[in-house]
Amino acid sequence: MNSQMKKPIVKMEDVTKIYEGKVMHRALTQLDFDVQEGEFVAIMGPSGSGKTTLLNLLMATDIPTYGKIVIGGVEPETLSQNEIALFRRRQIGFVFQEINLLQMLTVEENLVLPLTLDGLPIEEMKDRVQDMAKKLHLEEILERRPDELSGGQAQRTAIGRALIHQPTIVLADEPTGNLDSKSAKDVLELLEHINLHERTTIIMVTHDPIAASYCDRVLFIKDGEFFNEIYKDERRQTFFQRILNVLSLLGGNVNDFSTVRLP
Amino acid sequence: MTFRQFAYRNVLRNRRVYAAFFMASVFSVMVFFLYSMLLFHPSIENTFLQEISSLGMGIAEVILFIFTLFFLFYSMRSFLQARSREFGVLLLLGMARRQLHRLIFIETMLLGFASIITGIFIGFMFSKFFFMIVKAIVQIPVLPLYLSWKPFALTIGAFLSLFAIISYIAPVFIQQGKISDLLHGDMAVESVYTYSKSRGIFGVSLLLLAYIMATFVSRSSIISLFFLLPPLITFGTYYFFTDTLPLILHALRRQKQFFWRDYWMISISESIVRLKENARMFFIVTIVSTIAFMSVGILASLTSFASQYREVNPLGLVYKSFPHNEYEYRHIAQLTTELEQQDIDYWAVRFRVLQQQSSYTKNRVNIVKLADLNELAMSFGEKPLQLEQGHALFLPASASDASKLAKRFVHTELAESNMSLEIKGIYPYRLFPPNALGLNTIVVNHLDFDRVVEQSAQRSLAFTYYAFNIEKWQETKDIGLSINSQVLASIVLENKSPVRFEFENPGLNYSHIRMTFSLLLFIGLLLAGVFFLASGSFIYFRLYTSLSHDRKQYAVLQRIGMTDREFKKIVNRQLIPQFFFPWGVSFIHSVFAFLSLQVIWDALAEISIVKELTLVLLGFTVMQIFYFYLIRWRYISHIKAPTS
Repeated sequence: MNSQMKKPIVKMEDVTKIYEGKVMHRALTQLDFDVQEGEFVAIMGPSGSGKTTLLNLLMATDIPTYGKIVIGGVEPETLSQNEIALFRRRQIGFVFQEINLLQMLTVEENLVLPLTLDGLPIEEMKDRVQDMAKKLHLEEILERRPDELSGGQAQRTAIGRALIHQPTIVLADEPTGNLDSKSAKDVLELLEHINLHERTTIIMVTHDPIAASYCDRVLFIKDGEFFNEIYKDERRQTFFQRILNVLSLLGGNVNDFSTVRLP
Repeated sequence: MTFRQFAYRNVLRNRRVYAAFFMASVFSVMVFFLYSMLLFHPSIENTFLQEISSLGMGIAEVILFIFTLFFLFYSMRSFLQARSREFGVLLLLGMARRQLHRLIFIETMLLGFASIITGIFIGFMFSKFFFMIVKAIVQIPVLPLYLSWKPFALTIGAFLSLFAIISYIAPVFIQQGKISDLLHGDMAVESVYTYSKSRGIFGVSLLLLAYIMATFVSRSSIISLFFLLPPLITFGTYYFFTDTLPLILHALRRQKQFFWRDYWMISISESIVRLKENARMFFIVTIVSTIAFMSVGILASLTSFASQYREVNPLGLVYKSFPHNEYEYRHIAQLTTELEQQDIDYWAVRFRVLQQQSSYTKNRVNIVKLADLNELAMSFGEKPLQLEQGHALFLPASASDASKLAKRFVHTELAESNMSLEIKGIYPYRLFPPNALGLNTIVVNHLDFDRVVEQSAQRSLAFTYYAFNIEKWQETKDIGLSINSQVLASIVLENKSPVRFEFENPGLNYSHIRMTFSLLLFIGLLLAGVFFLASGSFIYFRLYTSLSHDRKQYAVLQRIGMTDREFKKIVNRQLIPQFFFPWGVSFIHSVFAFLSLQVIWDALAEISIVKELTLVLLGFTVMQIFYFYLIRWRYISHIKAPTS
């Protein structure tokens, strides 16, 4: 639609992932999609649909068995261990369900962590922390430790950490999974805000249709295969309803019937 | 599956967790068993082992036992903590606390049995090899392998009771804590960030005070310091680890210039947690390694004392016969025949030592003939000296005497023989052990000597001194044994039949001293080895306990984009303080302790222990570095292992 003119920042071409082990398992089958720059995409699917595998491929902790992934013009598969680490450090930000702040560091230190690894000048680090703290309303709690934070504050810190190095793409894995509805709303609005104002590309894996309704586009996968995708419309309410409709097709008994049918 | 089978399978399937624990226990059992084998060795008991070494061995066994108890106690606690999630699941499934205790009891006892059997088995296999090392170090006759129930009984008895104590106490560690806490895994680490500023300063000032006192110690104050310094150091060390170190690290943390650089942020903040968590353990390790360093250092310096023995005792055999000694000729004949029988080259010189009253000092003065001295000196390869009639030389009794007398000119008159002598300087060669020919001895030429004999008749003869110069002096330890026992017998009978002679066999004495010291040193080294292994294992166990937490952290860092090399650097910066802080502190402690000990040493024997000490400390450093790499390797591979 309106993203036609933009260049894709993530390209997946016929990506297949097979786990070989005692039991061979095909986690992804010929998945093929693009994510445009500045897009906010949700990936939904029932448990075992291959969401985690997809995320692992995107953050280059795993490589596809077949097919090609290009992220920001780079093919992670071709990089060395070291280059992958640098790639992650500079290009990608992560937000997890388990908030995963480093317990022994304060909020401020957690925020600044990715920058210290790159050896930025101290003044610039301080500036960026201040900016980020203002944006995420963390100024009051910069000196606190993670175990002194509420869930929402912790997740905001984690988002700050994922954004501070100005990544080209942010990957989020159930960022609202552990939060109460108020904090979840805050976090989602924050992500939406960042997407709109910073033009940061966000790919979010989620179970939660409310979370998905904040996105520009929702991609459904099932049993490792592309199932459907829908785009945002004017009102979040109706988008949410449409997501629910697809989900009702996707999960549960509807599919049981369809798999009974022989090809 | 019965309950016992369950326990058995638990141990078997948790073997990776238990492996380090098991190995350390096996090692302690093995060392304990080897000591016992030596302690009960039939040929040691009755022949060569001095009481002091067997006492040392006994003490070593006791220390080893107590230390192993502590060690197992701590490691057990770490393991139970590491497995708390598992226990949580068991309790959730409806296991009674009592059953859980029984489970742990059975598991620990199983492990105890296994390590006792393995340790004794390996110990027994290595005992021949061990005896060979002892033989090589101590230079004793071959120790045959023997079979006796005693060492087995001692080892089994000691460790069985030890494991029983541990497995009885162990469940207490998990008694507190609700199921949900257990399930949650690592227990909450509270008060990790609390420290008291005043206590921190107090700790470091205690240490500084002790160091200053140790540096400026004098001979007069050493005794009082002996009682003052150990408690000072102990308390200082404790507060140093619990408060001073956190104080310093937190201060560092505030320096963003420094703290926000590279991996320092992670490694320092991680160190803060670790050091605080393990402060008590580090304290124990520090004190124990200080004691180990010091005992090894002291023993090593004793060995150096032995090696300077030859300088002090240049003669191979010494026989001193006083007038009216009926055995004189028989004994000398016996010694020469024994030397010839054993094919030992010797050079014997007979000194007749006269005694006169000096008019100058009013003291008794001993007189020897220059010709005799020249004969002995030539056997050492020195040039003969000349003396004019009426002139004499001092024969210094010791090295410090020599420097005092070197410039002295004395005119004296010998009372009994009415002879006047000019005494000018000293006889330059050191041919005798200290005080061999009396404290106040002069050398005259043969004419004067004969005149003294003529003038004062028989009464002037103080004693006859037979000096045997033997190049292979260490081989004489079997010479004159019967004379020795005669001396011993007279000491036992005290004054009932006093002997009119003295016999000294430096070769024999040396072999005794050497044996005792090297055996003690060996025991000390083995003990230090156990301490050392155990302190490294402590650190490893603590690492193991926090492994799940560390893995999570590793995953986070990996996602943030940390390269493998950076991760290794972080691990280095985390492990190095844990390894080298306790060790470094004990190193500094020992250096200062030896500084003050050197004062005693100077007073006692005029020898320096710097060389030995450097060697000991260097040896430990190398071992520690090796151990560090070993454990780092294990740790990194555990961290990177996919969750198991």
